[in-house]
Amino acid sequence: MSDANPLAEAVGDKVAPPAVLVVFGASGDLTSRKLMPAVERLALRRLLPAGFSVVGVARTEMADDDFRERMRVAVEKLGGGGDEAGPVWAAFTGGFRYVAGDYASPETFDKLESVLDELDRERGTSGNRLYYLATPPATFPVIVSGLAEHGLNRPATEGAFVRVVIEKPYGHDRPSARDLDAIVHAGFAEEQVYRIDHYLGKETVQNVLALRFANTIFEPIWNRRYVDHVQITVAEELGVGHRGSFYERAGALRDIVQNHVMQVLALTLMEPPATFDADGIRDEKVKALKAVDVLSVDEVALHVVRAQYTAGWVGGEQAPGYRDEVGVDPHSQTETYVAMRLLVDNWRWAGVPFYVRTGKRLPKRVTEVAMEFHRPPHLPFKESQATGLAPNALVLRIQPDEGITLRFGAKVPGQEFQVRSVSMDFFYGAAFLEETPEAYERLLLDALVGDQTLFIRSDEVEQAWQIVDPILNAWGDESAPLARYDAGSWGPAEADDLLARDGRQWRKP
Amino acid sequence: MAEAVTMLTGAQLTGGAPITTVGSWEGDGVTVAQIAAALSDLRRHEQRAAVRTSVLTLVAVVRDPEIVDVTIDTVRELGGRHPSRTLVLVVADTDEDPGIDAIVSVHALRDQKPTVCFEDVVLRVRGPARWHLDSLIEPFTLPDLPVAVWLPNRLPSPGDPLLATADRLVVDTRAIGDRPDSLVQVARLLRRLPVTDLSWVRVAPWRSLLAGLFEGRAMRPFLDHVTRVEVAGHFGPRHLLAGWLKATLGLTRAHVHIEEAEHVSIRISAEHDGRVGRFSVARPAAERVIHSSVEIDDGPTFDQTWRLRDRWPSRSLADALTRIGDDPVYRRALRGAVELMP
Repeated sequence: MSDANPLAEAVGDKVAPPAVLVVFGASGDLTSRKLMPAVERLALRRLLPAGFSVVGVARTEMADDDFRERMRVAVEKLGGGGDEAGPVWAAFTGGFRYVAGDYASPETFDKLESVLDELDRERGTSGNRLYYLATPPATFPVIVSGLAEHGLNRPATEGAFVRVVIEKPYGHDRPSARDLDAIVHAGFAEEQVYRIDHYLGKETVQNVLALRFANTIFEPIWNRRYVDHVQITVAEELGVGHRGSFYERAGALRDIVQNHVMQVLALTLMEPPATFDADGIRDEKVKALKAVDVLSVDEVALHVVRAQYTAGWVGGEQAPGYRDEVGVDPHSQTETYVAMRLLVDNWRWAGVPFYVRTGKRLPKRVTEVAMEFHRPPHLPFKESQATGLAPNALVLRIQPDEGITLRFGAKVPGQEFQVRSVSMDFFYGAAFLEETPEAYERLLLDALVGDQTLFIRSDEVEQAWQIVDPILNAWGDESAPLARYDAGSWGPAEADDLLARDGRQWRKP
Repeated sequence: MAEAVTMLTGAQLTGGAPITTVGSWEGDGVTVAQIAAALSDLRRHEQRAAVRTSVLTLVAVVRDPEIVDVTIDTVRELGGRHPSRTLVLVVADTDEDPGIDAIVSVHALRDQKPTVCFEDVVLRVRGPARWHLDSLIEPFTLPDLPVAVWLPNRLPSPGDPLLATADRLVVDTRAIGDRPDSLVQVARLLRRLPVTDLSWVRVAPWRSLLAGLFEGRAMRPFLDHVTRVEVAGHFGPRHLLAGWLKATLGLTRAHVHIEEAEHVSIRISAEHDGRVGRFSVARPAAERVIHSSVEIDDGPTFDQTWRLRDRWPSRSLADALTRIGDDPVYRRALRGAVELMP
């Protein structure tokens, strides 16, 4: 007998097997805002089987019915529920259970084990478990160890799966990431571990792979011979909001660069994978990150700019300075902006600078990869005929207005021969109006079906920290300068100088 | 040109954005060149239509006067999901004065940024040209994009020149009616080009729910010992579902029982390890829900309720055009259905 379900191939989409999703941190914000809406949408799309069950685990005392009600309210608050979802949700939450307890207490795991056994018997979940750690990072080691000590880290029956999803941040530097990995690997094999970065669940991030490897016209020019430099921008118009105390410990380098930026960078740099599966892609991403030049302390001073926003105006509204935000030290030295110049030591990219910037309170929310090409070696026009001609550029917009822009030169209509740059825009939203799955929806389903492609492997985390750690160490020196920029601007003058020294300037996305 | 704002039911498809007709032109007894010029003119003078992002040319061919309006409404709704050029050919089945009457319209989805534009051309074809519809399609197809030809309630004859124009044929075996030879005809067409059957698309919820019941090690083994399959529904959908189960599970005709009913239901009895399992996916009368359930002797018993999405005419057409290319599962289902025909 084959294990595959022959009827499933007619469905087209991936369908999760019967399983129990165990959410640690079930009373928390992430569960309400992201996980439950994702579960609801998967259910509405009929991608979760009838026996699918959810067990919430948290310290808050709650009965099963209270947990169901709380999740229903959370889903409705975010626009879910309604006529279409009502009967589905009511039937679906029949498989919801709640376990209250401290993560450090063995009793919590005893209760969890008993609930899981009960669900296996009643709902045919066959011993399949997906543990989701939607908790603060400090609890990761406690929960992972607790699961292992109670034997909940291994399948109880042959053929079943047990997986664990771990949210970012994965460590706060390279040694702590290694320590966490050691604890995780003591209980779980790497194949069981799903380190999540929701950026990878975004359609357009995945589309970088489609653009590069499904077309023949881009890949031949995707190298040092044609590309002058690359700019990666991850900009947010929001400040730290109520995350001030968290952000104080993290900063832009840990919060954005170590994970989101490194993932986008890896997808841009990587070589074509031999196979489009988890290890095929992740092997190439690791190779790409290994090729990124690790900066020395002196190079950090020269090629990395850290900055913090001061009061200003964003989108017509007055914004406080970072030090005036709730939960932030009035003398804080935490960076809310990072700009850096990276080089990549490999055949494809040698000598091509990658300028990366990320920041809060920038003029708008945008993520893009902009590739600027070399100027033509010779222009057969008079200089005056090409004053409006900029180098070719290919811009991959990841959010918002996902799409691709190609900048090229064209003749201005008229008797004179004038050449000017024009942009040809392609918007995904105008070509494909299908509803795209939210990042968490996509990633949750991938974890349930056992597809690790969009999750970060242990050695990827290691390599990302390898690039970021020297910068953190250099900044550990109290004398490391912290530039200032007005909220609503594109960053400090020092970041402009970083490119100006190379005769270049930042794009205005 | 006055801007007409029309809230079509297609707004449901487009997240509530209404469709605006930003320009239109019509003429009786016109030539293809005049129509093409009018279309080009409409786009040139409408800034929002300057950028085209199309995914296909859709051609609907209607011979039955009673379904002309609903067909036009349906393809217009579809523009909200598949930005495309749509050509509706309304064929007069009489020897009226030869000629072509045309209505050309350019539409935009309001509140959609960037603006999504699409256009439709409705041609009423009289006289001998109705036997050469391919010659009317070619001048309007968008370069390099697939041409999908939709025949709402009939099948083409083997010599129909439309087949040479189409990259994909869209039919509806339920709408064709209770004609025993129609499934055989579709099977023959499938040898020539990809065919999408809207009846197959519409039963997708039943298929996915049924497949979901057999996911996992506890349920999967029951598929190896199916003792009885009962499928109810209209002509077309019930045969395709029964054919799919017969072909996929390697069942004989004796295992599969088909009966006429207003709504689709599938019931499977199976055995594993000495236990009997009953699996059911059924839509009760007068309710837009599907119940799916599992009952295993001395084992898990559970059921779920799923609400069917609101129905509107272009839903299944939009779903059908989402996937371009051959559908081997439909091919197999159709083969099974043909084998089950008396």
